[in-house]
Amino acid sequence: SEVCVAVTTPLHGFRGCAVREFSFVAQKPGCKGLRITTDACWGRCQTWEKPILDPPYIHRHHRVCTYNRTRQMTARLPGCQPNVSPLYHYPMALHCHCAICSTQDAECETF
Amino acid sequence: YDGLTPGCHLHPFNVTIRSDRRGTCKGTHLVYACVGYCESSAFPSRYSVLVASNFTHNITSASRCCTISKDAKVKVRLDCPRGRHHEEIEILTAEACRCDMCRKSRY
Repeated sequence: SEVCVAVTTPLHGFRGCAVREFSFVAQKPGCKGLRITTDACWGRCQTWEKPILDPPYIHRHHRVCTYNRTRQMTARLPGCQPNVSPLYHYPMALHCHCAICSTQDAECETF
Repeated sequence: YDGLTPGCHLHPFNVTIRSDRRGTCKGTHLVYACVGYCESSAFPSRYSVLVASNFTHNITSASRCCTISKDAKVKVRLDCPRGRHHEEIEILTAEACRCDMCRKSRY
């Protein structure tokens, strides 16, 4: 489901998965860093673990807030050495959803 | 689950066990699952992640999921026709829940 969150919305009780502003420093060897502000995903998806009678005895539903549709963006990093491309590619979220984290195209970290 | 606040909580449900396909003997017991809303986010990967994944992992997902942090076994007695009754069957129930690791097996 599509959810829009204004900056002023209190997030402590928010449920769902939405586009949210995100800042990071784009860095690669041979260039100086550049702070980039873009759109990423944040939220709280419904997840559960339920006992079942047969192996594996626990039925899991672990969906996480991740990118659904993206736009590929390109930034130009400052101070690059002559042999280093200044171009830095990163995804911008157009729409986010609750889904299984795909190890095919994402780094799935959990803690 | 609309009444739940964010977090990971015990959620009761009835489980019914039958001794065979015809349901000759059966028993019902209240057990608990863990259901909730834990935080997760996804953002552009650091350059080191891009290099390590040969530029395939351009998104990093950091997440927690609702898990059973403590469970217990409960015995369900199956009642049969004419007063005969089968042995008891053990099933799991959740006793405590926590936002914790999402499991890779189905994650």
